[in-house]
Amino acid sequence: MKQHIKLTINGKPEERLVEPNQTLLQMLREDLLLTGSKHGCGEGECGACTVIMDGQPVNSCLVLAAQTDGSVITTIEGVADDDGLHPVQDAFIETGAIQCGFCSPGMILTAVNLLEHNAQPDRNQIRQALSGNLCRCTGYHKIVDAVEMAASKINGEK
Amino acid sequence: MLLPRFQYHEAKDAHQAIRFLGEFGDQAKVLAGGTDLLVNMKLGHANPKQIIHIGRIPSLNNMEQTDEEWRIGSLMTAADMALQRDRLGAAGMIAQAASVLGTPLIRNRATIGGNVITARPAADMLPPLMALDAKLTLVGPAGERQVDLNNFVTGVGQTVLCPDELLTFISITKPDEGTGTAYIKLGTRKTLEISLVNVAVALSLKNDGTVSKARIVMGAVGPTPLRATRAENILVGERIISDNDSPICGAAIQAAQEASPIDDHRGSAKYRQHMVEVLTNRALAQAWSMAQGDKS
Repeated sequence: MKQHIKLTINGKPEERLVEPNQTLLQMLREDLLLTGSKHGCGEGECGACTVIMDGQPVNSCLVLAAQTDGSVITTIEGVADDDGLHPVQDAFIETGAIQCGFCSPGMILTAVNLLEHNAQPDRNQIRQALSGNLCRCTGYHKIVDAVEMAASKINGEK
Repeated sequence: MLLPRFQYHEAKDAHQAIRFLGEFGDQAKVLAGGTDLLVNMKLGHANPKQIIHIGRIPSLNNMEQTDEEWRIGSLMTAADMALQRDRLGAAGMIAQAASVLGTPLIRNRATIGGNVITARPAADMLPPLMALDAKLTLVGPAGERQVDLNNFVTGVGQTVLCPDELLTFISITKPDEGTGTAYIKLGTRKTLEISLVNVAVALSLKNDGTVSKARIVMGAVGPTPLRATRAENILVGERIISDNDSPICGAAIQAAQEASPIDDHRGSAKYRQHMVEVLTNRALAQAWSMAQGDKS
């Protein structure tokens, strides 16, 4: 029996009927065509599917769509705003933290969420926060550089 | 990776969850954080036709305290528990264990109760909770019962939880003054890892510095987490002079003898056995240091 859910995605209210066995990731990608969140491992081990759910980064491959009733979700598509890219996104581009880009949505979302909770993390704290997001291309240094740069930018603008 | 089909039921409270479990019997599984069940379903290791979502049951997702104990709601996430280190004081290793479970993303969903009832040999939360003599509150159709966590896990993934019962609370008596605890997890990598070996210890010291109580619990070196009771007995009544001398060393050597590890893809039995000694040594040293600090 389909489940009736009402939630907010990237600031927009959504009301849907979902099959019990549909994950949040599937609903985002297949029904809502928000393909920024990626299917990497499907088991919660790579972080390519990361979205922010009720203020916390989670593996959307391990959340049932039915569990998201009443939730507020932000995907990578909701990070930039009318004024342009988020400082984290700018920093990823500037430092060369993006190669194939597959891990980038998850990395960026986790990083954005980190900086909302810890305005000036040190490199170790950044690594810890990103430890659920795997990258096969970059070796992580430039990703950490990007988050540091973004933190400075955000704090500089305050 | 696709989930098989199932019926989904939302439990608004513990009693409704138990009614569903009674109705559906062994067709049903409870869903909280989903970081274990949904993975198993995707891999074909579990195929419940009925899923009872308990994630919305109120008042089970935080930690309350009285003068004597902490009461941890089974739905408390590992992430929330990881933030409780200062609040837990001498029992801080519970928060330490929660902070190394999985990844930050997993910890935002995984629950303490889930880690307990899935009862994997390498579970992060079991050794610390067992070393602190945790008591579980299980609720079933006939009412509530308390079970000692040290008697709860009976085999790999096997517990005394009945199919129509729900774990609601995990209670820890606040440790005596002069207690120190430590949890050390060894993995083949620093994070995103299931333990190769883990050890949790709790040491209580009397005013004269002798050990009044010792608990050593080892994980991933047997089908269930194991109490190293002979190692514990080496410590009780002894005064510890330094952290690199007996009785700590003696207890660590003995603990390794009480482990029964296997060879697997993460490591050999021999290596694990050796690491029990190493980790027990380090954990006892840390706990002793904390216990001394706790007395001042």
